[in-house]
Amino acid sequence: MASYINIRISQIHLTSNIKQTIVAMLGVTFGISMYVFMTGFMTGANNAQNDLAFSSLAHIRVYNDCPADNTNIATKFFPNSLVDLHNAKIIKYTDGIKNSNTILNALKSKKDITEVTTQVNVNVFFKNAGNKVNGSVSGVDVVNENKVFNTSKYITEGNWNELKQRSDGIFVAVDLAKNLSLKVNDNLNILTSDGISKNYKVIGIFKTDVASIDKSRAYININAARQLIGANQSYATDIQINIKDYNKTDHIINQIAPIIPYKTESWQMANQQLVAGSSLRDIIAIAISLVILIVAGFGIYNIMNMTINQKIREIAILKAMGFSGPDVTQIFLTQAIVIGIIGGFIGLGFGYLTAILVNKIPFEVAGMLTLPMAYTLKDYILAFMFGLVTTFIAGYIPARKASKIDPVTILRG
Amino acid sequence: MQNEIILKADNIVKYFYEPDKFQVLKRVGFEVKRGEFVALVGKSGSGKSTLLYVLSTMDTDYEGGLTIKDTLLSNKNQNELAAFRNEHIGFVFQFHYLLPEFSALENVMIPALKLNKKSKEEIEASAYENLKLLGLDDQALKKANKLSGGQQQRVAIARALINKPSIIMGDEPTGNLDSKNSQVVFDIFREISKERGQTIIAVTHDDDFANNCDRIIEMMDGKLLNK
Repeated sequence: MASYINIRISQIHLTSNIKQTIVAMLGVTFGISMYVFMTGFMTGANNAQNDLAFSSLAHIRVYNDCPADNTNIATKFFPNSLVDLHNAKIIKYTDGIKNSNTILNALKSKKDITEVTTQVNVNVFFKNAGNKVNGSVSGVDVVNENKVFNTSKYITEGNWNELKQRSDGIFVAVDLAKNLSLKVNDNLNILTSDGISKNYKVIGIFKTDVASIDKSRAYININAARQLIGANQSYATDIQINIKDYNKTDHIINQIAPIIPYKTESWQMANQQLVAGSSLRDIIAIAISLVILIVAGFGIYNIMNMTINQKIREIAILKAMGFSGPDVTQIFLTQAIVIGIIGGFIGLGFGYLTAILVNKIPFEVAGMLTLPMAYTLKDYILAFMFGLVTTFIAGYIPARKASKIDPVTILRG
Repeated sequence: MQNEIILKADNIVKYFYEPDKFQVLKRVGFEVKRGEFVALVGKSGSGKSTLLYVLSTMDTDYEGGLTIKDTLLSNKNQNELAAFRNEHIGFVFQFHYLLPEFSALENVMIPALKLNKKSKEEIEASAYENLKLLGLDDQALKKANKLSGGQQQRVAIARALINKPSIIMGDEPTGNLDSKNSQVVFDIFREISKERGQTIIAVTHDDDFANNCDRIIEMMDGKLLNK
């Protein structure tokens, strides 16, 4: 246990050269505030990107995948044959999800699933007289679509819920509308790949800030879409699922994949570049912060070493008076830990302030107004722990050196 | 009571290995009684300081036996020896080696706080008493580095006395003082050994100092000359 006198000596050492103590503390403060700020900034950037991504991406998507690879169907059934088959015609038996209602019922029983919506996505040509644009029209379940994708947030003109009643209504993405010279209440003609043509009335405009979507997407009521391609009332091309924690898709997929006879795909599988981007940013943030903490650690190490060299006679006399090696270690380690704790707390506060300030810097790109920032308690605790471990190690090495000082060689001079 | 053996050195042998192997102490053996005031003298290089540091338990690199207060110390480890020194041995060096940022009073209290057998208030009271004995009660709250050389040395003596050790060891305790302060320090030692029965072993070059002691142990070339 730390004895009163050891702590008192540590206290005197810390306060007798207050400038040196403050310099050592500033090292820790700077390291920890940078750590807190950097991780907050990176997490904020990742969250902003995820928000952007999830405006058009559900956490899990269920769809009917293309049939298996049948480029050489003869060798598939007769592996040792030398038959070479050209122009194989593959007959696709099923297209889309025929029985979406039974799947929806099965999904509703899973408690980690928060929202589910069905879509009928059709690739079409949008036509306004001679002006023709390639794109896709999404037939959506108006209420649930909004729950999964928060679609109404992106509506710039019109009222999203109007789509519920209007089987002839269509919401058009902002750039697509511009390219076709459309505005609200204009007519828009749609042509499917099966050659079916149908007229809709533009009842709203939306803007997602994802360029590829803003140039090619339109929304109609799901029943209108089923009608457009002549499908039944339970038909869907995609079932989009949101879950509680979007990082835990694997767990849910393992649960639902066996009971659904279709392809289930997590957002991570479909967008590995997003996952890679997030991970890389995290790694960079942690690397920079750790480097700063290590530099701060060297600062403490240096200052502790200097102090010990200055006080080498003091240490020798303490040992002559009966202080043991562990006592001496304790005296100097206490100083390092006090520097670490105080510097750490100031660092947390300073990092938080920096984060708030940076969070106010305007940054009007892709739907953001200011630079993104996240305030995660876990990161603050982690930063503090890292700071403490660094100071402990940086203080322990010189403290142990001090404990090994031989009083005889010092006192005999 | 007065003939009680407080310290016994038995055939102590010590070598220096730098720069060459050299035997500094050649089978040194003697006994010191309780309350004796012993001066350890000899030319420089005779091994008297080396012997003192062996007796102080700080130097453990020797052969032979060392017994203080009926405790055999030659086979104890560093931490046990530190605890033993804290309770039974007081030190006064040529330089005071006070902790400069502490007050005189606190410097005196340190060994007792380390021993941790009395309350802080009791320790403070007895530290104050010790300073008074040495005529420093008016300087008690001054920082150690604000005192004069003679005052600092007296504070160091007060510090050596705080745990009422059986033995006080001095390495040229007057070596850095003028004759007036030397006399003060000598008188204090004299009084301590006579009235409190504390043993004093001091290395000294000062002939006056040595001649007024109870006993002189003279060393030459690592051996005792007379007893």
